Amino acid sequence: MIITSLLQVKHRDHTGLHMRELTMSVKSLDVIVEGRRSQPQQLIEVLQDVQDLCGYIPRESMITVSKELGVPLIEVYRVASFYKAFSLVPSGKHVITVCLGTACHVRGARRMVDQVAGQLGVSPGGTTSDGLFTVECVNCLGACALGPVVVLDGVYYDKMTPRKLSRLIDSVRAADSEGRANA
Amino acid sequence: MQNYVTLTIDGAPVRASRADSVLDVAIEYGICIPHLCHVPTISDLGACRLCIVEHVQNGRSKVTTSCTLRVQEDMVIRTNTDKIRKLRRNIAELLVAEAPNSRAVQDIALRCGVKQVRYPFRNKTCTLCGRCVRLCAELWGARAIGFVGRGKDRRVDFPFGVRPDFCKECNSCIDLCPMTITPCDGPMKTGEERLCGKCEGQLLMNENFPDFCVWCALGEGFGCARHA
Repeated sequence: MIITSLLQVKHRDHTGLHMRELTMSVKSLDVIVEGRRSQPQQLIEVLQDVQDLCGYIPRESMITVSKELGVPLIEVYRVASFYKAFSLVPSGKHVITVCLGTACHVRGARRMVDQVAGQLGVSPGGTTSDGLFTVECVNCLGACALGPVVVLDGVYYDKMTPRKLSRLIDSVRAADSEGRANA
Repeated sequence: MQNYVTLTIDGAPVRASRADSVLDVAIEYGICIPHLCHVPTISDLGACRLCIVEHVQNGRSKVTTSCTLRVQEDMVIRTNTDKIRKLRRNIAELLVAEAPNSRAVQDIALRCGVKQVRYPFRNKTCTLCGRCVRLCAELWGARAIGFVGRGKDRRVDFPFGVRPDFCKECNSCIDLCPMTITPCDGPMKTGEERLCGKCEGQLLMNENFPDFCVWCALGEGFGCARHA
């Protein structure tokens, strides 16, 4: 469950994120909480929905969830900071997940991390300054025969090499700037 | 329903009320089980692991924390076997390596028989015993502080790191914190941490009567339930 929610990365428009997300989160947070008010046991489910909606868990939403579910704020924060499926900082438009499991590691996953870090200038867990990419590392994706595995926005790329990865990042960046020019 | 049960702690038959934990009963009967995170009147968490005992069941013994173990009829508990002493010494050694800058932690290490510390000193300011968190939640109902993060990043913090309005700064969390009791020689600087061990004389009696509480002054340091 946690792994699937990690991989189900929704496409998010990063431009004008702040304003849109605020209005959006106020409206949809009501929908999420509806029917689950005063049910503390629903905390994790509600936080998962918030994570799916916003791509991260904003502070304001934690305060709202705490009030609506009748859970102390520290408890909401404790749960949100404990699970790896919840992010407390906004993630970029595209999420690159590098598998560092044993099989991928043996086949050179470290080189993928170095490539991503070098090309985007962010370390794992970070987001580029233009908000386009977030780099994450996971310990195993369960696709060990395909290693090294890199996941871009929920799509698996097998048997990666630094060169293939570099081209992939370039193509995403090109597609993105094209889409922005057309819009 | 009977409200009392009879159990055996270190071979001594004792009578206890049904809702008590093994640690409470042992302290009441003068059997010394070292403990750090246990505070009377507050719920137990089993965070420090110092109060481990052997629970013998069907000829097998299971090591578990006595503060979270409820008494049962015909229970057999051993608090001072070689195995327990060795495990407890190692736990105390890890604790003192993590946070040597406290008389309470140093006293516990001494009480548990730590002679040398094989781990690098980290000089942290928190043992994650959770006394403050439970006090804030249970006694005051404030829940202003709590555990945040996971694994090695776990820490005690306010929500989002900001003191909320409903924290009235009563400071009772600080009163209960074992880290606020500085070592007798003053605070240790980073790089100068060491095992104190100066109060060893306190434990001479304890060597003769290993499982009995000798009301050692060390207990005062770590807020032993006997002294509370």
